[in-house]
Amino acid sequence: MKNESAVKVALVSCGSEYAGVHGELEEVARSVDAKLIFPEVDINILDDIGRDFGLEAASPDLRLMMARAKSVVEGITNVDGVFITSCFRCAEAAIVRNEVRRYIHKHSDIPVISYSFTERTTAATLMTRMEALTTIARRRHLLAREHQNGLTAGIDSGSTTTKAVVMRDDKIIGSGWVPTIKVIDSATEAYNKALEDAGVKAEDIQALGTTGYGRFLVGEHFNAQLIQEEITVNSKGAVYLADAQQGAATVIDIGGMDNKAISIQDGIPGMFTMGGICAGASGRFLDMTSKRLGVDITELGALAVKGMQDKVDMNSYCIVFGIQSLVNSLAKGSTQEDVAAAACHSVVEQIFEQQLQEVDVKEPLILVGGSSLIEGVPKALSELLNIKVIVPPNSHLIGAVGSALLASGYVEE
Amino acid sequence: MAKVIIYPTNSLILSDLVERFGHKPLAMMEKIKEKVATVGVDSPPLNITAEEPKNGLKYAAVEVPAGVRGRMAIVGPMVDDAEAGIIVSESPMAFGCMGCARTNELTKFLIRDRGIPLLELDFPKDDDEGQEFVYKIADFLKSLPDGEAEA
Amino acid sequence: MPDNEDDVITKLVVLGSDSVLPIDAALKIYESKTGIVIKETCFGTMVTGSRADVNQVVKEVVALDKNHIFVKERGFPPGDDRRCRASRGGGTRPGFYFMQEEAGMLPIIGKALDNYEKGLPAKEVERKKRMKVSQLKDIIESTS
Repeated sequence: MKNESAVKVALVSCGSEYAGVHGELEEVARSVDAKLIFPEVDINILDDIGRDFGLEAASPDLRLMMARAKSVVEGITNVDGVFITSCFRCAEAAIVRNEVRRYIHKHSDIPVISYSFTERTTAATLMTRMEALTTIARRRHLLAREHQNGLTAGIDSGSTTTKAVVMRDDKIIGSGWVPTIKVIDSATEAYNKALEDAGVKAEDIQALGTTGYGRFLVGEHFNAQLIQEEITVNSKGAVYLADAQQGAATVIDIGGMDNKAISIQDGIPGMFTMGGICAGASGRFLDMTSKRLGVDITELGALAVKGMQDKVDMNSYCIVFGIQSLVNSLAKGSTQEDVAAAACHSVVEQIFEQQLQEVDVKEPLILVGGSSLIEGVPKALSELLNIKVIVPPNSHLIGAVGSALLASGYVEE
Repeated sequence: MAKVIIYPTNSLILSDLVERFGHKPLAMMEKIKEKVATVGVDSPPLNITAEEPKNGLKYAAVEVPAGVRGRMAIVGPMVDDAEAGIIVSESPMAFGCMGCARTNELTKFLIRDRGIPLLELDFPKDDDEGQEFVYKIADFLKSLPDGEAEA
Repeated sequence: MPDNEDDVITKLVVLGSDSVLPIDAALKIYESKTGIVIKETCFGTMVTGSRADVNQVVKEVVALDKNHIFVKERGFPPGDDRRCRASRGGGTRPGFYFMQEEAGMLPIIGKALDNYEKGLPAKEVERKKRMKVSQLKDIIESTS
């Protein structure tokens, strides 16, 4: 990756320099070999930019954001990606940030990420997002791949579970799924299971891809051809498994520790957001719920679809206080089914409130990640958004399948 | 010589007039200079680190965005230090340190809230308004303690 | 905190003058102290050096046409990498736009300073007030 030229990322921001985060933005850009640039703006357009763009923001720096977005869309400034960012908790900036993001997405095929920062935002927080942005810019040809050829494997080293698959010519011929304890050990175990299941040997694998939190460690250990963050990999895996590789799609991935909402066009992410601040919006919430109910996590979904969440009072999405509400409801006589349903709704509602506002939801909506197997979750999501939710086969193996698919790009090379 | 805070805090015209009539302008430029010239802090471009938004808590609560608090960490001490103020509204757009409307609202409030001698007016649009603008500012500055007659 | 005379500062000298050309100002600066670095910009001249030197030179330049030459201190030294257009990958520095707008007002300010100096009386400026609803009503009725 080192030999590739730096990716140019337009920074469209109103206050990163004053919020104590600018250094972090520069650092994360450097770490993925990208360069932040400030789009060139003809200052004469600034007088009328509010009306031109249609949004008369009071803050001049927000108007400058619109002018910079325009400069990018009109090709006055040539960039490979756009990073739109403003202060967390600023309502005015949130309006502008959203409309600028939509504007770029509508008028160009330049990938965009949008993020609201606090002074505590660090380069590490932004790493996966920026890596995805540069990947989309750098590896469009790789992401355009629609078929898996040859014998390849993928390992998804997640925060909670490690998944591995072996694929041959568009078919999953072996898989392994183990809890993540030690990154390398768990990856080895999952990979060995997948190899055994497929009846092939590690040395027969023509190309290997890794993704997830442990991707670097695992990728290095197994000498993988492809080490890739989970946003692009999961997008690709989702549209591949759901057979929605062309046209628009939205992917929601509820993982063990965080979640992602990705807006996709022709298999390539256009806009995306990542959670990771609150465990209440992750699979961990469901895991905790099943423990409190005394059922296995695999049974929670079946319970949830039979329950009515309205019968349970929940006054917090928090993994501590929310679950306390569930326990109190049980004590007051709520059924296990109702509580399971309420838990699924809680997770989905929080994702809706925090993330789905940041991407445009277009059908088909593909739900992936381990939590998608808990039937109550897609049901709750479908009820909330009032659209059909697709859970493709092997949706829990999404990262591993995406990795194996993309890795097959290295088979011919 | 009085320390006079100017608003917009980066105005050439106001900074010049305050100095011309014998006072010390409290302006953004000098503060930025202090920041960028700080040795050993490497957070370009302005050397504003996560510490500034924290220092800004003196002027705005934690629920106020980090960018406002970061700017207030620079503007706030100038307001504290001021012995008089000139606020000019209807200014052309200014970016960067003056680029956030929310910060600007708070800055103007804090200046007014100090209870120091204060002149408020608008940027001029023609010669007549320009004359009124300059005369009012000159008279105001001369009325301040130790104000010098124009050199 | 008292200003330290040895501090290195930058002042921006902006000309709103008909009689003094940028080249005159530059020559005035060149012929003065040696410890000064100058850079000419679209609006005037940036002067960098010790506070004492800069203030002295700026005073001399302003004296060329004092009501039409304006000065402010600048945060960044000229060509600073952190603000330089080239190293930022394009995009004007944030202060440029406001500076351009203010530079456009300088003739008005300069003329007013001349008048003030001459002791001309202040003029009452009448500003348009918002039309009364009754007046608007009359107009509507007269056009319908």
